[in-house]
Amino acid sequence: MIQLAILSALVALVLVGWFTARGKARLFARDGVTTWSRPEYHAAHLVLWILVPALVGWLAWSALVPSLVDAALAAWPVAQNLPASEFERASVLAEARALAANPDAGSFYPLAAELVAPIQQLNARYGLVGAVIVAILAFSGGAWGFSRLRADFPARTWVERAVMLLLLLASLVAILTTFGIIASLVYETGLFFGQVSPIDFLTGTHWSPGAAVGDDIGDSFGAVPLFWGTIYIGAVIAMIVAIPLGLMSAIYLTQYASARARRWIKPMLEILAGVPTVVYGYFAALTIAPFIRDLAASLGRDNPSTESALAAGLVMGVMIIPFVSSMADDSIAAVPSAMRDGSLAMGATQSETIKRVLIPAALPGIVAGVMLAVSRAIGETMIVVMAAGAAANLSADPLDSMTTVTFQIVQLLTGDQEFDSPKTLSAFALGLILFTVTLVLNIVALRVVRRFREAYD
Amino acid sequence: MTDAHVLARMEQRLAQRHAAERRFHLLGLGAVVLSLSFLVLLLVIMLKNGLGGLDWQFLTASDSTDPASAGIWGAFKGSLWTMLVTLALSFPLGVLAAVYLEEFAPRNRWVDIVEVSINNLAAVPSIIFGLLGLAVFINTLHMPRSSPLVGGLTLALMTMPVIVIASRNAIKAVPPSIRDAALAIGASPVQTVFHHVVPLALPGIMTGTIIGMARALGETAPLLMIGMRAFIATPPDGVTAPASVLPMQIFLWSDEIDAGFVQNTSAAIIVLLVFLLAMNGLAIYLRNKFEVNW
Repeated sequence: MIQLAILSALVALVLVGWFTARGKARLFARDGVTTWSRPEYHAAHLVLWILVPALVGWLAWSALVPSLVDAALAAWPVAQNLPASEFERASVLAEARALAANPDAGSFYPLAAELVAPIQQLNARYGLVGAVIVAILAFSGGAWGFSRLRADFPARTWVERAVMLLLLLASLVAILTTFGIIASLVYETGLFFGQVSPIDFLTGTHWSPGAAVGDDIGDSFGAVPLFWGTIYIGAVIAMIVAIPLGLMSAIYLTQYASARARRWIKPMLEILAGVPTVVYGYFAALTIAPFIRDLAASLGRDNPSTESALAAGLVMGVMIIPFVSSMADDSIAAVPSAMRDGSLAMGATQSETIKRVLIPAALPGIVAGVMLAVSRAIGETMIVVMAAGAAANLSADPLDSMTTVTFQIVQLLTGDQEFDSPKTLSAFALGLILFTVTLVLNIVALRVVRRFREAYD
Repeated sequence: MTDAHVLARMEQRLAQRHAAERRFHLLGLGAVVLSLSFLVLLLVIMLKNGLGGLDWQFLTASDSTDPASAGIWGAFKGSLWTMLVTLALSFPLGVLAAVYLEEFAPRNRWVDIVEVSINNLAAVPSIIFGLLGLAVFINTLHMPRSSPLVGGLTLALMTMPVIVIASRNAIKAVPPSIRDAALAIGASPVQTVFHHVVPLALPGIMTGTIIGMARALGETAPLLMIGMRAFIATPPDGVTAPASVLPMQIFLWSDEIDAGFVQNTSAAIIVLLVFLLAMNGLAIYLRNKFEVNW
């Protein structure tokens, strides 16, 4: 592999550069010349000059090679047989490229197999050109760096500048990720809204993307049942479980439990938050859902479904308990102890103090915690995929099967269909709505928490 | 009204208030017990169903259509490759970003945007990262579908904010006197940070990293989006080979109709939970062992 050869040559060059530069810089000290920087900084400076231009050049070249290969391939006689349609042409080329990289890969188009040899030949040729470019860059960079190695050269300043640049780039990754999420979601959603009107999508009550064929596909993309299912499972059922249990656990742990008990119970509660969601999903599907189905049957429901909103919501609530509990814990701890002591000194019992003083004082923090918990619950995927069902029902009965936004995103994108159909694009529209809602919930919650903290500082 | 009467009413009222106090106390205890009993129930059911299936064959075989000969080695190897990519990317990026934000960043609008986006990324639903991975890594950059490379990249973007937040807290906890001392004897700001502050903050950084990696190890939803749900009968030997991961194997088996897969699913869950517990235990151990109270 030519890549491996380039890499090992670069590593060797870097090692040689490091030791020569350090050796030369050490000679200054032996000769009694005062140096600006320690020998290691001179060495690092040279290594940077070898490595950075070479790697940048390599990366740029690798990005260029596929289009160069395609262009050169067009001149080949075999390429004249390529189908004229853009889409077919692209898939034949993609397949040939996969075959060239891995001969074991299966092929569908017979033409792809014929294209393998030319592609491999071209890849090898351009790979060699790339190696030469990398070598030129590494050597000329190294030569320039070495020519600057003098006793009075401020190598440390330059190395530290490079370090600062690296730090800055690392922190920009976060912005890039946020930007990437927004850009990709907005772009695909734009494509989707080109085919289905946003009004149909946001207000329609009929969801069956599988049936979306013909001109009038807007009728099949009414997402209201999904929004309803998401809110009902994540913000209603799950919260009915999580808020009382989480809040009371936090109160017990902060106000009643001994320090010893607290030290044991708190990590155990946190295990609940650390259990992977796929495990909760399996737990819901294996244990809770059949139990609820039997319960529904004994209550006189005929033919109850195994997949119920209640099963998914209950388990999701359990998952959220530690989250609510730790947020409530923090908010209660943030209430100044003078308020608590004052209430107790007036003769209120502990429970009266908690109910009348601590909780009202901590309420903004608790509400913010609940908002964060809701945002986590509506974004939760595996539990609903495994326990909630696919039927888009607009119903208030917790024993009905309901579907959620996350479930539908998974449903729409796992399967082999082409990428530009409205069906797959609608998943991105759902994703954009999910992202926006969780973002707003988070921003508002964090702002409430901050203001609440300031009030008691 | 007589004094005795008033006294009796006061006592009655006090008894009521004390009863309410006891009820409230019990309610709190009940909430804790109920929450923990869910955990116990979950563990007991998984152990009951899965312990019988945990044998050497299960640990060393790969996925198969026959539940008796199916094992988790392939998925485990996939997880290993994926975590390797995730760690290699998110750890350096996360620590460097944290160092920049905590030690060098000027206070301006741009840095505020970076901070806000890191805090928000930590709360974005994981499935959104899957959509990002699908749109950017697979459809735009044409990276190999269902490979540990794409899975690891996607999870790295998800894990990085966790590492940044933990590292910032660890760096913040290093007292300024350490920095002052280093600067006073002539170290440059970069030397001060990398020779003194970061090594002292390392236990906290490691703890945060392990917790973030544990979360990534248990994650399924984003990997569903990038196609890591294929049936993989041969363990992957590289970051570009098609692979599955442990939680995905659990998900795939949970869908099987054959009753033999119930045992396999539960056994795989036990293995996954053992790993997660070990990682979290290590994080707690590191925190207790190396944490310095300045």
